[in-house]
Amino acid sequence: MAPLLEVDDLHMHFFTRDGVVKACDGVSFTLEAGRTLGVVGESGSGKSVTAMTVMRLIPEPPGKVVSGDIRFKGESILSMSEKDQRKLRGNRIAMIFQDPMTSLNPVFRIGQQIAEPLRLHKDMSRTEAWAAAVELLDRVGIPQAEERARNYPHEFSGGMRQRAMIAMALACGPDILIADEPTTALDVTIQAQILELMQEIQQRTESAIIMITHDLGVVADMADHIMVMYAGKAVEYGPADEVFYNPLHPYTWGLLESLPRHDVDDKGALCPIKGQPPSLINLPPGCAFSPRCAYAKPECDKKVPPLVEIDNGHLSACLFAGDIDFICQYENRVKRGEDSGGDV
Amino acid sequence: MRKKQPTGEQVAPVSGDATGAAAVASTEVLTGPARSLRADAIRRLKKNKLAVAGLVWIIIVILVAITADLWAPYWLGDPVAIDSTTAAERMLLSPSVDHPFGTDKLGRDVASRVVYGARVSLLVGVVAVAIAVAIGLLMGALAAYYGGIWDAIIMRTADVFFAFPYILFAIVLIALLGPGLQNVFIAIGVLGWPSIARVFRSSILSVKENEYVDAARAMGSSTRRILLRHIMPNAVAPIIVYATMSIGGAILTEAALSFLGMGVQPPDPSWGNMLDDARSFMLTAPWLMIYPGIAILTTVLAFVLLGDGLRDALDVKMKE
Repeated sequence: MAPLLEVDDLHMHFFTRDGVVKACDGVSFTLEAGRTLGVVGESGSGKSVTAMTVMRLIPEPPGKVVSGDIRFKGESILSMSEKDQRKLRGNRIAMIFQDPMTSLNPVFRIGQQIAEPLRLHKDMSRTEAWAAAVELLDRVGIPQAEERARNYPHEFSGGMRQRAMIAMALACGPDILIADEPTTALDVTIQAQILELMQEIQQRTESAIIMITHDLGVVADMADHIMVMYAGKAVEYGPADEVFYNPLHPYTWGLLESLPRHDVDDKGALCPIKGQPPSLINLPPGCAFSPRCAYAKPECDKKVPPLVEIDNGHLSACLFAGDIDFICQYENRVKRGEDSGGDV
Repeated sequence: MRKKQPTGEQVAPVSGDATGAAAVASTEVLTGPARSLRADAIRRLKKNKLAVAGLVWIIIVILVAITADLWAPYWLGDPVAIDSTTAAERMLLSPSVDHPFGTDKLGRDVASRVVYGARVSLLVGVVAVAIAVAIGLLMGALAAYYGGIWDAIIMRTADVFFAFPYILFAIVLIALLGPGLQNVFIAIGVLGWPSIARVFRSSILSVKENEYVDAARAMGSSTRRILLRHIMPNAVAPIIVYATMSIGGAILTEAALSFLGMGVQPPDPSWGNMLDDARSFMLTAPWLMIYPGIAILTTVLAFVLLGDGLRDALDVKMKE
């Protein structure tokens, strides 16, 4: 049986006045039912564009899928008619947006908005959809759902709005839930609650989740697989534990080192990745990360390193990912950091 | 609830009751009575005294204009016909019980003429603005939604309209079409659309950027549904406000055109041509000028005040 979602060598380019922006340049992954894929990378690495392309939310022009395919249960989304795509969106594939403050329509009641996908896809009457919306609100942990459904978005707090957004995405019982930085706009305690809610929902509904974030901490608990993106390309892909404990790309090392960790009692400064992501119009000829990479060698600038399998199911797009000595450099460095930190 | 401190005679309530009461109280605080967007807007509008005053005045003027045929000719006198037998002795009478606003140089009752003038003014205001809004909404939506070349053509055309002096443009148009009420509609409507189109276009463009439009698409809504259900209601509030204020502007323009002899033609009364008639008697019979002038002033002001109130009332995010 075909996997739930297959993204195959997807190239999404934007044709702008300044040149072609290769926002998503050869991304591939598969997603099985009930699994969670974490997509990690800094701003402008193409995470959101990849997700938006799956939803077909990128306006064309300026965007254009240059090559590659997206298949949902074996069927190509890209070659579907607009009408068939609409039947998938919100119904089989739903999306949670980054900013709950702006992603609810201010002129409709919360309940009406949650009822909308039900009315669109499930052919429910107004009253049926309203009842279902109240139930959904209750399920995502909004107290007094009955009354709260009558509120307008501005009467909800940020965390509650994000809960409402989740309720809206869940309304039709989608197979895939795409969450584009669902916690970025929320404060830390609310973040934890929202993540907990999403995990709980996943256990109950068996839906697959694509979790897009720039925060490795967010996907640490949730993701089964992690894809690290840089400059429109996947630079590392593998099982979550593998990526966390045995990262095979210097960019992932950088991300992990720049993260404050409470399990390491190191009072020293965090170690940022120096420099800035490259312009997606003029990518360097070789590895896009090499200008910022502390381990770069002359070979790195010659050709784009392909994403190859290094370990069982663990892929990296670094020329030296398979090189034992190279990996040791990183491990030694981490160890040094931990040693100086004292009791670990 | 909070004020009720347990006093001597009030036995502290059983804990079960207390939590129950507290729950009820907090429900009220949290949600208040359920209300619709429209009810909400009306409630906010009611709080704005000036807007309510404007609305009341507009309603009075509308009622007067609609019912004029039922009473004005009998109580006050015919606004148009000149009774040649009595005209000489009734001309230019100052305000009195019989003629509360006085009479004009042909012996017609000014009050009656002001009342009938209200018909013209309201008709011009509403119809001309309706024409402007219809064209403006269409043009603005086309420009904003299709963008690119459409946007350029429509908005540059609008710029050309803005480049002409408004009243001169109207005079030229009427000179081409011929004077008369119908052509006043057309002139004001045609000249009014560019500003409506501009307001609506920018309004749609800013609404289009909102994430909830993406969210609606992600929900599986069609383009038409997104435009009508998600973009329109959020983009239309400035248009309602702008159109209300424009009615005042249109009334003013009609008055100006009639004053210049390009609008309503005598003997039919309009506030503008009454002012024109009054010019030569400004010092000898000031009531000829004062009453139509006051009518124009108060009605235009009423529309502007109402528009101002609507702007606040239609803003969902307005703090209470």
